[in-house]
Amino acid sequence: MKKIKLNLFMFLSLLVFTQSCTNDLNVVPEDDDDFLSEDFFAQPNAYKRAIAGVYGNLSLTGTTGPGSSLLQGIDAGTSQYSRCVWYMQELATDEAIWSYEGSGDPGVREIQRNIWSGDNPIFLGMYSRAMVQVALSNEFIRQTTPEKLSSRGVTNATEIAEIGFYRAEAKALKCLAYYHLLDLFGKATLVTENDPINFRGQQIEGTALFNYIETELLAILPSLKAAKTNESGRLDKAFAWAILSKLYLNAEVYTGTPKYTECMTMCSNIIGAGYQLEPNYLDNFKADNDTSTELIFAIQSDGIKTQNYGATTVMCNGQVGSIEGNGQALYGVNGWGGALRLRKQFVQKFDGASFDFDSRKTIISAGRPIDIANVAIQAQGYILGKWSNRTSTGLAGQNSTFVDTDFPLFRLADFYLMYAEAQMRKDGATNGNSTANANSTSLGYINLLRERANDGNFGNVTTGQVTLNFLIDERARELHWEGHRRQDLIRFGKFTGGNYVWAWKGNATNGVSIPANFKVYPFHPNTILANPNLIQNPGY
Amino acid sequence: MKTIYKKLLFLFLTLPFSVLAQNTLSGVVLDSKSNQPLPGVNVVVQGANSSTSTDFDGKFKLGGLKSGDKVVFSFIGYNSETITFSGQNTVSISLTESANQLQEVVVQVGYGTVKKKDATGSTTVLAAKDFNKGANVTTENLLNGRIAGVSVNTSGAPGSGSEIRIRGGASLNASNDPLIVIDGLPIANTTIAGSTSFLASLNPNTVESITVLKDASATAIYGSRASNGVILITTKKGGKKLSVDYNFQYGSGKLVKTVDVFGADQFRQVITDKFPSLVPTLGNSNTNWQEEIYRRTDFVDNSLSIKGNLFNAIPARLTIGNTYQEGLRLTNDFNRSTVSLALAPSMFKDHLKIKVNANYSNEKNRFAPGVEGSALSFDPTQPVYDASSQFGGFFEYRNTAVTTTTVDALTPNVARNPVAELLQTNDRGINNRIFGNFEVDYKLHFLPELRFVVNLGFDQAKGERSKTVPRNSAVAFSNNNIIYGTNEFAEETFTNKLLDAYFNYNKAFGKLNLDLTAGYSYQKFEKDRFDTGNVNNPQLGANFPETTIDPDIVLLGYFGRANFTYNSKYLLTLAFRRDGSSRFAENNRWGNFPAASFAWKINEDLFKENKSISDLKLRVGWGVTGQQDTGDERYGYLERYVQGDGVSQYFIGGTAYSVGIPTARTAIKWEETTTYNIGFDYGFFKNRITGSLDAFYKLSEDLLFNAPTADGSNFTNTSFQNIGSFSTRGLELNLNAAVVENEGTGFNWNINFNATTFQRKIEEVDPFTRIERGGIDGGTGANVLVLQSGFTPDSFYVYKQLYDSAGNPIEGGYADLNGDGIINTDDRYIYNNTDPDLLLGFASNINYKNFDFSFNMRASFGNRNFNNVNSNRAVFARMQPSGTLAAANVPVSVLDTNFENTTNTLTSDLYVENASFLRMDNITLGYTFPKWLEGKASLRLFTGVQNAFVITDYSGLDPEITGGIDRTIYPRQRSILFRVNVKF
Repeated sequence: MKKIKLNLFMFLSLLVFTQSCTNDLNVVPEDDDDFLSEDFFAQPNAYKRAIAGVYGNLSLTGTTGPGSSLLQGIDAGTSQYSRCVWYMQELATDEAIWSYEGSGDPGVREIQRNIWSGDNPIFLGMYSRAMVQVALSNEFIRQTTPEKLSSRGVTNATEIAEIGFYRAEAKALKCLAYYHLLDLFGKATLVTENDPINFRGQQIEGTALFNYIETELLAILPSLKAAKTNESGRLDKAFAWAILSKLYLNAEVYTGTPKYTECMTMCSNIIGAGYQLEPNYLDNFKADNDTSTELIFAIQSDGIKTQNYGATTVMCNGQVGSIEGNGQALYGVNGWGGALRLRKQFVQKFDGASFDFDSRKTIISAGRPIDIANVAIQAQGYILGKWSNRTSTGLAGQNSTFVDTDFPLFRLADFYLMYAEAQMRKDGATNGNSTANANSTSLGYINLLRERANDGNFGNVTTGQVTLNFLIDERARELHWEGHRRQDLIRFGKFTGGNYVWAWKGNATNGVSIPANFKVYPFHPNTILANPNLIQNPGY
Repeated sequence: MKTIYKKLLFLFLTLPFSVLAQNTLSGVVLDSKSNQPLPGVNVVVQGANSSTSTDFDGKFKLGGLKSGDKVVFSFIGYNSETITFSGQNTVSISLTESANQLQEVVVQVGYGTVKKKDATGSTTVLAAKDFNKGANVTTENLLNGRIAGVSVNTSGAPGSGSEIRIRGGASLNASNDPLIVIDGLPIANTTIAGSTSFLASLNPNTVESITVLKDASATAIYGSRASNGVILITTKKGGKKLSVDYNFQYGSGKLVKTVDVFGADQFRQVITDKFPSLVPTLGNSNTNWQEEIYRRTDFVDNSLSIKGNLFNAIPARLTIGNTYQEGLRLTNDFNRSTVSLALAPSMFKDHLKIKVNANYSNEKNRFAPGVEGSALSFDPTQPVYDASSQFGGFFEYRNTAVTTTTVDALTPNVARNPVAELLQTNDRGINNRIFGNFEVDYKLHFLPELRFVVNLGFDQAKGERSKTVPRNSAVAFSNNNIIYGTNEFAEETFTNKLLDAYFNYNKAFGKLNLDLTAGYSYQKFEKDRFDTGNVNNPQLGANFPETTIDPDIVLLGYFGRANFTYNSKYLLTLAFRRDGSSRFAENNRWGNFPAASFAWKINEDLFKENKSISDLKLRVGWGVTGQQDTGDERYGYLERYVQGDGVSQYFIGGTAYSVGIPTARTAIKWEETTTYNIGFDYGFFKNRITGSLDAFYKLSEDLLFNAPTADGSNFTNTSFQNIGSFSTRGLELNLNAAVVENEGTGFNWNINFNATTFQRKIEEVDPFTRIERGGIDGGTGANVLVLQSGFTPDSFYVYKQLYDSAGNPIEGGYADLNGDGIINTDDRYIYNNTDPDLLLGFASNINYKNFDFSFNMRASFGNRNFNNVNSNRAVFARMQPSGTLAAANVPVSVLDTNFENTTNTLTSDLYVENASFLRMDNITLGYTFPKWLEGKASLRLFTGVQNAFVITDYSGLDPEITGGIDRTIYPRQRSILFRVNVKF
């Protein structure tokens, strides 16, 4: 009996023991970089670091350096936000071509020869990266509700007020992502801060998506800081105006209904907000361009602390010539052996003596044929020298791979040209005709850029010269390689069809027409399979 | 408990009465060797109808006997005895075990053992005498090619790990590695800093036997970790007599084959013809870079094992070993010292048995960077050394246009001297590891059928690795043309703790034998790491030095098993395990894993009189096993934030902040594999031919799949989900034969042959039509493998190459398979897969007097490799990789295709090649002096060749690669071995 009692005791203690072990299954983070959410937000500066995370997704691909990514199915570097935007807005056009084609950097070949299908990792990367932006924004909004803040003991009124600004900024960043998706894909799935994790959003398309972004931005405008009053690295009202002016200028493409007056209003808001053209055009594209007075918002890159394979790292390294080997000497980078070159039709935008002194013309042509007969041969075609990882005073950037150069998402010069275009279109100019109806304000804006480029007024244009066809070319000259070209060509009716062809358009050496459905990109099959609410774009 | 006790008491009390009857023979049957009672022995009166069998204590009683009756005692695995009844009342019979290997073999089944003859699941045991001979540095190589359904693929690096697959694995995305258990301690497949492999710490000389559990009825006792099979490694134990076993082995290895690239003269010619602008960059040397980076290697292995009985009470074994193996790559070596101690005392008349296994290993490694790629492509006209070079006297491309204060600037974007990279990189690791277990096995005094076993396991590895590259090296860290050098240090600790507690109840009730086991298992894995980063980097991230602590992994299990044996002929095993894993959220945490198997010794019923069939057992099994190993996905169900490291920051107001990013959230549960197995164990002609034949079908469901998630609500686009299913069906044949058994001439010839065929098929990966994977060199993110419903996992997904009328491939010419007039990614198709159609293993062992000669070989048919070396490199454009700065070499196969550019040659089906092969793993010839030193000792000498030859049509360096994509590999060496083995 005693033994049985003893056994019973042993059995019970075993039960207690196993029960305590069962609790061991509830593991918790032990690493100093890994936190339960509540522990994370209990730290000093947590909200600032969380909003830095929402901003950071524009620059960084992951949390452990440039090779890490929140996304899979696409190379970390290739899924960087500005790089995806850049590939899809620039490589599909007359402005640039990438040497390492085909399987070398999958997806690039199909984009730059305009023969894409949905099965393209860059489309997967772009859509996922932008939707992660949405998810991060929503998460920030969820984590900063008044209830959450008070439950965590955040009572300091100044801090609560600042978090209020963060919340508005998070919403603006969500709108940026949806704006890019509207432009590139024509639609997206809507996910709000009220939706749970792993929720499948409903498709929102065209006018509905346009209206959603417009409404959101107009609603948060009062909650954003006044233009130029926020800390560097954060956005303000001008950021919202910038997206709105882009939406309105392209409204006819997105919704069929023009909104040029609204566009002019928004451009005027920006123009009147105190931004100044940087006296030297090229200083906007150098390692210290974060100090440029012209930039409304830029996607950060830092050779030490914000390392990424984003658009500026790609361009600074990619523009280094294979023959010239001019990376270190000119741009402070090692270079990628002639990855990027120019197509003939872009080069021709600078034809003529009138551009001999134009600082925007950075084309290097010596010893190179203008035509690219074989995309893989880096010695064919001219190259560009617009971007640099050296500072305005010529000092090399901190790192010879990862540049210090920020990517100017919105800069003042763009809005001068947008104002002029909206005005002309509002006043009756249409694609393809030669109406020259720029008013004096518009002409003044255009010539501000000309004077800056030429360091004098000898290159200025007159009203009679300013047609829409002039404007699209002027936009190319001013804004090439800044991620606008595809959108501009579509708005001007020159992207699809055969109105305007360029080398390798439609996979022909001299270019051929491409179908109209190519105005929007298709979704990657995985994107749709993971959320069947999303319907593939027509024609794909 | 109480009632059982009463019943038992009743049974004991009634026993004595039964022996009082007249004409009754009673007695006890014992094992002649151990004098232990034998239960279940058949006691039959010849020519009469009366029979009985012995009880659990070996006792029997047989009534109605007449004087002169012949009573036969028979028992499987024992020689029968016959006595004549002459009125005696009691008798004591000793049965001797028949000399039959098959039936003596003990199979580890996890938390216990069974005799091979009683095993109901698909299991294979390999004892020390069956192990592969030759230079086996890691334990898994002992069984390579020897067991049907088990494949081992080891890289060429010394001490390196292997890809082990049992029946092809059961997972698509989660781990496919089998569970490896050393003396009851499941070890983690985690290789830590400073070490080459998680199995490299175990000295193969200490291994006594390896049991492989293949089907779920056998593995289910390991529940959540058993889907990929289980390998149970048992180390040697002490003995009663003092014995010493010393082994010395020396090997000398060399490179077998190089990738065929242009020689210097031919290279000069091709450059002159095709890239005249590069001619000025050429040198005057004639260098075979692939031979320069490799060397002849030494291998020295010493192992001393002492067995004995300490204080006449504690059987003990001590093994001390050292293995030194040089890698082919210059500077690469592996140096392992091990001490292993096994104690097995038993007390209280064997009621209390204690087993202690303690292993210590010290690994010292020098790692060498993988320079195969640069050796292939480096200009053969350049010299290895250059007296004028400031880079340690090695030739490097220098840019005299740019000078810095100290040294010439290096030309950017060109290859670096691979010999210099090897010789100037000092990358060393040390790994100290202690592992072992302490087992207490207590047989209750008042109820000896019941045993309690507690097994405590412990495994801790501490490793460190340091890497320095001097400032005069071209591959050292540099920035903005200033070489800073590399100086990194990392330290890692991995701990694995185990507690198993179970009881075992074994009793016979008449013809029914019952063996019950039930218990509890707790295991915890912890890992942390410390990194200094490159301290020479002035821009080193602020997070360094960085300590990283991995989330713990905790596994809990409750398990039970019941073996029912009826009349020693019909065997039924039921097993059940319930497992919890910290990898899953509370609502998904627990999984149940049942199994059942049945075996019927057919020959006992049907072929008892048949002379040629000595054994025939049918096994039928079913079981469900689990998978929880999702790698680094350790607790995705928790709401967490991680912060950016030193280079992942965002500037606000001029201050850089580590970004705070919410982690991807998952809601996953167990992956489950259901296995059906039917098999025969056979023995013919007095077991001169033995073996087994198995057919199996496995279905893995709720696959732990890292698959796309709906965008916008999670913080990633891909997360682990339970998606889809896939099946494997296969046949396995094992055959051992004593071809010649001639005691008279002393000539014996034994062979082992095994054959495996299996077919894996994805039943569904819904909702995804296909998932691409298998990145290749030469293209960022380019994939050539695909997972698609209805096809074998990892089928090749490539373009269909077009050929001209002469049969030559057209560069960039692909079939427009979907007929839309455009060649794009939609035109890729599924073309073959990486799986072999048939795997064969063959081992032969001939003894003639004191000579022995053995070899083993393996063959694989129908497996295919994607030759990425050619697809990436065999194009002329690769000869001009960096403008006019330097020329580079390419494989001569470029002359076959005449392809100019990598554009679209990368993923052509042209590079999917049949990689069937036959490999002679080793050939050994030995001579034994059995009575050396006046019979006090035995001496065995042997010599052999390891990796003797490979027969294949595959055009790459070696057909045997992992993963189906042949990038540059660390080549396997061929070595000549000498071995001395002394025993006394």
